[in-house]
Amino acid sequence: MESLNLKLLEICLKCGACYHICPSCLNMEGYDPRLVIKDILAGQYEKWLKSKSIWQCLECHHCLEICFQHYGFENAMTAMRTLAAKKGTTPPQVKKGWDIFMKTGKLGEPTASARKKLNLPEAAKSGAEDFKKIVKIYQERKETKERLKTKD
Amino acid sequence: MKDFAIFWGCTIQSRFPFLEKSTRMVLDGFNLPYRDVDGFTCCPEKSLVNNIDRGLWVLTAARNIALLDKAGLDLVSPCTGCVSNLATVNSELHLSYKEKEKVNSVLHEVGLEFKGKNKLSHLVPFFHDEVGIHAVKNKVVKPFNGMRIAIHYGCHMIRPSHTLKNDDPLEPKKFDNLIKALGAESVQHMTKLMCCGQGLDRVDQHENSLHFARIKLKELKALGIDAMTLCCPSCYLQFDNNQFLMEKEGEKLGIPILYFTELLGLAMGYKQEDLGLESHRIDVTPFLEKWNRLNGELSHVSDLNRELEEGFGIAQP
Repeated sequence: MESLNLKLLEICLKCGACYHICPSCLNMEGYDPRLVIKDILAGQYEKWLKSKSIWQCLECHHCLEICFQHYGFENAMTAMRTLAAKKGTTPPQVKKGWDIFMKTGKLGEPTASARKKLNLPEAAKSGAEDFKKIVKIYQERKETKERLKTKD
Repeated sequence: MKDFAIFWGCTIQSRFPFLEKSTRMVLDGFNLPYRDVDGFTCCPEKSLVNNIDRGLWVLTAARNIALLDKAGLDLVSPCTGCVSNLATVNSELHLSYKEKEKVNSVLHEVGLEFKGKNKLSHLVPFFHDEVGIHAVKNKVVKPFNGMRIAIHYGCHMIRPSHTLKNDDPLEPKKFDNLIKALGAESVQHMTKLMCCGQGLDRVDQHENSLHFARIKLKELKALGIDAMTLCCPSCYLQFDNNQFLMEKEGEKLGIPILYFTELLGLAMGYKQEDLGLESHRIDVTPFLEKWNRLNGELSHVSDLNRELEEGFGIAQP
């Protein structure tokens, strides 16, 4: 993920306009990204990585639309989720979805029997093979880059 | 109209093939130049892939878009998430030459190149903008006059607006216009733009997910609407499937959920069994019964309206 713009986040904390339009803030007790942002700015975000809160941002982009900086809560929450994923503290379902995606390039396949019943034509071919090829190249390059970084 | 690829996405094809059926029926009914294209993968889902590996999220979406560049096709999808994800990556790559080069250096290895030259549209704004309200009205043989329908836009049909650029992100109109074109009343409600909450099911927070579904369904129940309509498989899963789970636990709300393509298909005169309506978990019979009854009672009004429109409307070729 791209690094967070801490200057913008500082202004976020003072504004909070999106708090009043965010569906999770409005409907889920205890959910308040302002607390997360406050801790990020204080350098004490660690405790949020294992929390349920960071997965309660639904990425509905309401905050982004109403934000005069065009930044919003969601960037902070995405950053926390990315760090959580790195540390392996994602919810089990996320891990499951990720594994299926990496294996097949998709999150579910069409079933021939259901299609036949509905009189649907044969489904178009999946691009899984090419997907796997580009993932391999991508990961090799990423690893090389990280190796070079640690050498420095 | 330019030929376009139809992008079904994972959820419709794996879980709700009947939604593919009704979509094909209406596309055929309007004689639209759509094609099934080999080689697509997951769009991919932003809330899953981007959270874990942003680079891979961009690369996978760019590959799908590159397939369109290769075939010279626009894209239309009946899934809001797919369009939103693809459009977001599309506009990000247009803004960053460096990132585009990086992506293309990988795609070249499989004989593809991201150019991002083609239009990416969700089915609803596509019908509104490209097919047109007048053409939709002309296809209606059995209107929904007197029916009260609540529209759930679904977040990603309209947001993020800087990448989708297809409607007002906080006060959208296009879906409303289409539902009105079918003769129905679009019932305004407080939670119209509220996120469905299905994402919570994907992070092991089922109770919270039901809590979200309940808020909206209860409001619609109180308003006495005849059905909710939407055009997103994730929202459909939330309101049909999760409503059914609530029903099994004794909490019956009885709000029929109809996909945009199903409503359109019904209005065009297609049979409910051909559209696959029996695959719904929440019974849609009360909706159909009222509609049939009203159509009998109000048929003289429809005739009157048709005559008025023929008399004063602008003739279309």
